[in-house]
Amino acid sequence: MERRNILASGIVIAVIVCVAALSFHFASAPPVQTLKVFHAGSLAVPLEEAEKQFETLHPNVDVQRESMGSIAAIRQVTDVGKRGEVVASADYTLIPNMMYPEYADWVVRFATNDLVLAYNPEKSKYADEITPENWYEILRRDGVIFAFSSPNLDPCGYRAVMVLQLAELYYDDEKIFDDLILDNTAITIREEEDGTYLITTPEDLKPNTAKVSIRPKSVELVALVEAGGLDYAFEYRSVAVQHNLSYVDLPAEIDLGNVAHEDFYNKVKLQNAKGETITASTIIYGITVPKNAPNPEFGLEFVKFVIGDAGQKIIEDTGQTPIAPAVGSGELPEELKDVVITEVNK
Amino acid sequence: MKLLSRWSGIEKLKREKIFILFLFLGLFLIAFICITIGNMFYKQAEDFSGLIDTAKDPVVLKAIGISISMALVSTLIAFFFGVPLAYFLARKEFIGKSIIEGIVDVPLMIPHIVAGIALYGVFMRYGLIGAPLKKLGIGITDAYPGIVVAMLFMSLPYLVDTAREGFKEVDPRLENVARSLGASHWRTFREITFPLAFPSIRSGAILSWGRAISEFSAVLILAYHPISAPILIYEKFTSFGLAASRPISVLLISICFVIFILLRVLYKRMK
Repeated sequence: MERRNILASGIVIAVIVCVAALSFHFASAPPVQTLKVFHAGSLAVPLEEAEKQFETLHPNVDVQRESMGSIAAIRQVTDVGKRGEVVASADYTLIPNMMYPEYADWVVRFATNDLVLAYNPEKSKYADEITPENWYEILRRDGVIFAFSSPNLDPCGYRAVMVLQLAELYYDDEKIFDDLILDNTAITIREEEDGTYLITTPEDLKPNTAKVSIRPKSVELVALVEAGGLDYAFEYRSVAVQHNLSYVDLPAEIDLGNVAHEDFYNKVKLQNAKGETITASTIIYGITVPKNAPNPEFGLEFVKFVIGDAGQKIIEDTGQTPIAPAVGSGELPEELKDVVITEVNK
Repeated sequence: MKLLSRWSGIEKLKREKIFILFLFLGLFLIAFICITIGNMFYKQAEDFSGLIDTAKDPVVLKAIGISISMALVSTLIAFFFGVPLAYFLARKEFIGKSIIEGIVDVPLMIPHIVAGIALYGVFMRYGLIGAPLKKLGIGITDAYPGIVVAMLFMSLPYLVDTAREGFKEVDPRLENVARSLGASHWRTFREITFPLAFPSIRSGAILSWGRAISEFSAVLILAYHPISAPILIYEKFTSFGLAASRPISVLLISICFVIFILLRVLYKRMK
């Protein structure tokens, strides 16, 4: 009985101490403003670093990030009705297409990304031989398993398939797409009258799993390459860098990372299982402050940070290429006019 | 007479009071399940033609067939190795027994995606088990065996734990009597212990089978193709939304429900 009493009073004292400590903590903390950022999953690593540095610069601001697919991130604002200060998308065109004019009226293009062929230097077959000139030969070899994410579910997946067709045009080897994709999956392609190519990805991709491995999202392939179960996987460069994977740096003409080759990229189109047609184009990230942001001035401050020197360094360290200076379009706010190049037409 | 019967009715009600209370409490859980699933079926009923189309789709039927049959294989393996383990754990006391029991339950606690990646590391072509199998020409990842491996890992605790409890309930004195009458240990197990514990083993097998069918994350990592039902549902949901994924779920649940009921009825008949 006595022992129980001691135990009970011990618990009561512990609870009181905890409550007191917590209330003291909350009472003494300075008032904090939240800055909500909805962003593409591929920006999680750089924006996490940006969050840390930004919070050090602005101790009264608490940056809260929500990471998801770019379309889902934008829908948080446009459909779900959440309010936030910043939206960052892995495809800048989504912002004008989905948010103009009601939810935003400007976008700043601040970074590019490109596709690489990631591998494990210890376990991937022929890893010691692979170069930007012979990678497609190596993928063809017996016993080599390569992978990409589902073209129907993940932009990285349809981009990977596009890259293989671009490779066929660029290396002038009309068998690359046939050997790697057509022979191993249910994906089809046809040449259009205007000289472009239309790839069709059916719902059931029927991969020959001894040669091609497909997963829903490209990040899932990272673990499989690390384990050595796959030899090569198409990934965004940033993903490969952030996960310390070795990678083949594909030529700029086919890696979807350089605006200078936009016309060449545009030669390939892809129709997914939903029937949507997507034209291959440069991967450009965009950022904006939604019109209904509760604290737009903080949002602008964060955008300026991301496109500024510190932000550019973070983006570069995490494997993307910053666009410097950033390129803005739409009704740009005054504060940004000094720091971005304005493009009127887009 | 009438009075008496009414009186006995009230008396009966009094005696059964606890059951009435417990029934009401239990109904909360039944309602929890029925409302959730019922709502799904009800919404699907509005699009009945969609359900019919789905039921005719060979891709869907194949995926459901893969899920059900691979789960069956997984349950048979769990049965073959799990029943002996369960009997051993029920009868023997030894140092470190609780560690062994804890190990059996580990798959219940690991996040499924983590289990999937761990399994992949072991069963892929250079993995500890995958490499020797590969030499024999057996590929696990992205193939039927991969589905079974993932399902087995995630579902075996249900069978082992339930069977162990079943064996514990069989009085060891019955075994002793049988043995003192001259039955071999093996025969005692076959004719006394196993039949007496069978209701639990059967429940465990059904639980494990059901759990195997529903496994998604670990299967996704180990064997995305050939596509099993939960993966097809996920794919349809991500690319076409709820309207496309729901009929497959409804179909899968209906088929499994019918099999569950049939198994139970059949067992009762057999008895």
